[in-house]
Amino acid sequence: MQNYGYEGYPSDMGGTQSVQRQEVVRVKGLYKRYSRKADWAVTNVTFSCREGEIVGLLGHNGAGKSTTLKCLEGMLPFERGTITIAGHDIQRDGEAAKQNMGFVTDNHATFVKMTGLQYINFMADVYEVPTKLREKRLAALEQVFQLGKPIENLISSYSHGMRQKICMMGSLIHHPKLWILDEPMTGLDPRTMKAVSSFMHRYVAAGNSIIFSSHALNTVAKLCDRVVLIRKGEQVNELNVKQIYATNPNFDFEEYFLRNERQE
Amino acid sequence: MNDRNEREVRSAAKRGGVKMRTVRALLRKGREERRSQFKAGQFDFLGFLLRLVLVAAIVALFVVFFGQFTEVYIGLRTAGRTDVFARSTELLTILYTAVILGMVVGGVGQLGRELFNSDDMKIFSAMPINARTLFVARLISIYRGQLGIALVAVLTVNATFAWKVGVTIFFWLMTVGICFLLPLITIGIAAVLVPIFQVIKKFLRERYVLMFILVTALLGVGFWLYSIILGGVKELLLGDSLKYFFNESVMNAIASACNWLYPARWFANVMTGSEFVWSWVGLVLTALVSILLSMLIIRRILTRALQARNQSATNSLLKTTYLTAQGKKLPALLKKEFLLIFRTPSYMFSYLSVAFIMPLMVYFCMDVGASLVENLVGLDSRLELALFLTILFGALTNIFCATNISRDGEMFYTVKAMPLSFKTVFFSKIILCLIVTAISQVASAVLLAAAGIVGALDAIFIFVVGLLFGFVNIAVATRYDFNHAKFSTEDDGEIKESSGTVSTVIVMGMVLSFLVGGIVFVLKLLAQLQNISYGYLTYILAGAMAVVAALLAAGYLLFRLKRKYYEFSGGGI
Repeated sequence: MQNYGYEGYPSDMGGTQSVQRQEVVRVKGLYKRYSRKADWAVTNVTFSCREGEIVGLLGHNGAGKSTTLKCLEGMLPFERGTITIAGHDIQRDGEAAKQNMGFVTDNHATFVKMTGLQYINFMADVYEVPTKLREKRLAALEQVFQLGKPIENLISSYSHGMRQKICMMGSLIHHPKLWILDEPMTGLDPRTMKAVSSFMHRYVAAGNSIIFSSHALNTVAKLCDRVVLIRKGEQVNELNVKQIYATNPNFDFEEYFLRNERQE
Repeated sequence: MNDRNEREVRSAAKRGGVKMRTVRALLRKGREERRSQFKAGQFDFLGFLLRLVLVAAIVALFVVFFGQFTEVYIGLRTAGRTDVFARSTELLTILYTAVILGMVVGGVGQLGRELFNSDDMKIFSAMPINARTLFVARLISIYRGQLGIALVAVLTVNATFAWKVGVTIFFWLMTVGICFLLPLITIGIAAVLVPIFQVIKKFLRERYVLMFILVTALLGVGFWLYSIILGGVKELLLGDSLKYFFNESVMNAIASACNWLYPARWFANVMTGSEFVWSWVGLVLTALVSILLSMLIIRRILTRALQARNQSATNSLLKTTYLTAQGKKLPALLKKEFLLIFRTPSYMFSYLSVAFIMPLMVYFCMDVGASLVENLVGLDSRLELALFLTILFGALTNIFCATNISRDGEMFYTVKAMPLSFKTVFFSKIILCLIVTAISQVASAVLLAAAGIVGALDAIFIFVVGLLFGFVNIAVATRYDFNHAKFSTEDDGEIKESSGTVSTVIVMGMVLSFLVGGIVFVLKLLAQLQNISYGYLTYILAGAMAVVAALLAAGYLLFRLKRKYYEFSGGGI
C-alpha cells in the first residue's frame, strides 16, 4: 500500500492504543423535531463510539442520518436525549465538546472568499493549533488529499471535489479525537477515495474515532466496525460488521439492507 | 403528451427552434419561485410593508420636489417670454434620459444576473432545453422586469408633469405606448453594454484593492454631482434665485443638449405632440434595431454562458503562500468577516465604499443645509443639523448590518459547530461593523471641523453621538437579521436581493435620525422664538438619547441571545 504519510500525528496528540477503549461518543435517546413540522425527524436514537472505532450511520434518503450528525456536531438543537463527546455534554458544555471533534458537512459549505491556506489558518486559529504543528500537519494532510498548488488559490475557484478536500483538511488540522463526516466519499475521485479510506483506518488506529453517514453500502461494509441502521428517523438495528464478516465472510450486506427495508 | 404538444416539440426539435411549451414552463418556474417568498411562515409581512412605505416615500418625495421644480422651470423666460411647449419638451427629454440611463444600468445588472450568474444555467445546460428556447424565456423575463421599472418611473414622471402642466387624454394614451416601447430600447442598449461590463468585471475579478479604489472614487464623483443638485434644490427653496441660475446662456445650453439626447427626445416629442410622426418612426426604428441587437448579442452570450457553466474550476489570481502563526479566535473571525465583505463586490460597494464616502455626504449636505436653515428660519443650528446628518448617513451606511447573519448562509451552521461561544460569534460581527463606523465617523467629524462648519469640541461630540447611534443601528440590525435570517441559496451564498429586514432597518435608522435631529432642532428653534437661554441642551439631550438608545439596543441584542443561538435552526434552507 502506498504510504500517504500521517506520521507525527499520533505522537503529537498523544494517540492511545490501549486495550481498555474509552467511549468517545454517547448518544442516548435522541429525539429531534424541526419546528412547525409535526413528525419527528429523529426518534430514540441511541449509540456509542469508542476509541479506535469507525461507526457508520446507514439509511435511505431522509432517514435522519444528517439530522443525527448535525445534532452531534451541535449545529441543531434537539428536544430530548443526551449527546456526550469526550465526556462533555454537547448542550451544557458545547465548546469543550466541539474542541474534540472535526466535521465535514454533506454540502461541503466553506468560506469561499478565503484561499485554501487562509481557510486552514482560520481553522487552526479557531481550534488553537500551535504554530509549530501547523506546517507539519498540513504537509501530512497534503500527502493524503493531494490538493497541490490550488491550496494557495481562492476556494471560490475550486471544483466540488477540491472543496471537499479542503473541508476535510480543515476539519483535521487540530487532530480531533472524533471525526464526523456526512457522505464523505461523494464527489471524490477513486484515487482520493482510496487514500481517504486508508487514512481513516490509520486515523482510528491511532486511538481516534470516526462517525460517518453514507448510502454507499460497500463503503460502509469495508470501513466500519459497527453500523447503526436508521429508518424514518428511528434506529432499527445496530450491527457489528467486523464480527459478522469474521463469522460469515460471504455475508451480503446489500441484500441484508434491502431485505430489512422490504420487511418494514 | 397530447398530439398538439407532440407536434410542437417534434417540429421545434427538427429545426432546433423555440419550444413554446418549455418557455411557458420556464416562466412558470420563475413565477412560482417569486410566489414562494409570500408563503406563510417565510413571509416577513412587516418588512414587506416597510418596503412598500419606503418606495412610496421615495416616489412622494420625487413628486413634491419635481412638481415644484416643474412649476418654476415651465415659467422660466427666454428672450423675454415664456415658452411652455419648449420647456415641457426639454424637461421631459432630461427626465426620460435619466429614466433610460437608470433602466440601462438596471438592465445591464439584470442581464448579467440572468445570463452569467444564474445557478439555473448549470441545471439547464444538462437538460434538453436548447439555447433559443432559453433565450426567449430569459428575454421575456428581462422584458417583464424592465416593463415594471418603466411603468413605475414613467408613470411617476408623467403624472407629476400632468399635475403641474395639465394634459389631455392623448398624453395618457402615449404614456401607455412609451411604457411598452421603452424596455425594448433599454434592453438593446444594455445588451450592447453587458459584454463590455463583463470584460471590466473579469479584469477586476480578484483585484479587490483596485476595485475598491475605483468603486469608491465613482461613488465620490456621484455624490459630488448629487451635491450640485442639492445646491439647485437650495436655490429653489430660497425663492427666485433659481431663475437667475437658469440664465439665457444656461437655457440655450440645455436646449441644444436636448436636441441631441435621442431617443429620449423622441419620447418627449411623442408626449408633447411635436414632430409626432417622425418621432414615432425614430422610436420604432430604434426599437427594431435594439431588438435585433439584443437578440444577436444575448443569444451569443447565452450559448457561451451555457458552455462555460460546464467548466467547474476556474483560475484564481489571488494567492496565499504561507501559513501564519497561531492567532486568537476573535481576530480569526474578524478576518474571516472582513474578507467576506471585501472580496464580494456588492458587499464592498454597499458597505465599505459607502462608509468611506459617508463623510463627504455629511459635508455636502451640511454645506447646503446649514445656509438653507440660516436663511429660511434665521437659526444657527449647525450642531443640530450635523447631528441629524451624521446619525442619518451613519444609519444608511449601517443598513448593511441587516445582513450580518444572513450573508453567512449555511456557514452560520458551520461556525455554530465550532468551539466558539455565541459571544465570540456575535462580537466579531459587531466589532467589525463598529470599526468601520468609527473610521467613517472620525473622518466625518474631522472634515466638518477642518471645513470650519463646527468647532473642535462639537466635532468630538458629534463623533461620540454618531458612534453610539452607529452601535444602535448595528446591534438592532444584527439581532433583527438573526431573528429573521434568510440564507441565500446561491452557490457562493451571496445575497443578491434586498430583504424585508433591510427595509425595516432603513426605516428604523431614518426614524431615529429624524427623531433625535428633529427634537434638538425644534427645541432650539422654540427657545430662540421664546427668547429662552438654550445653553447646553443639545449636548444634554442628544447625549442622553444616544446613551439610552445604546443601552436599549444592547439589551435587545443580548435578550435571550445565548438560548436563541444554541436553538437556532432558521435560515430557510
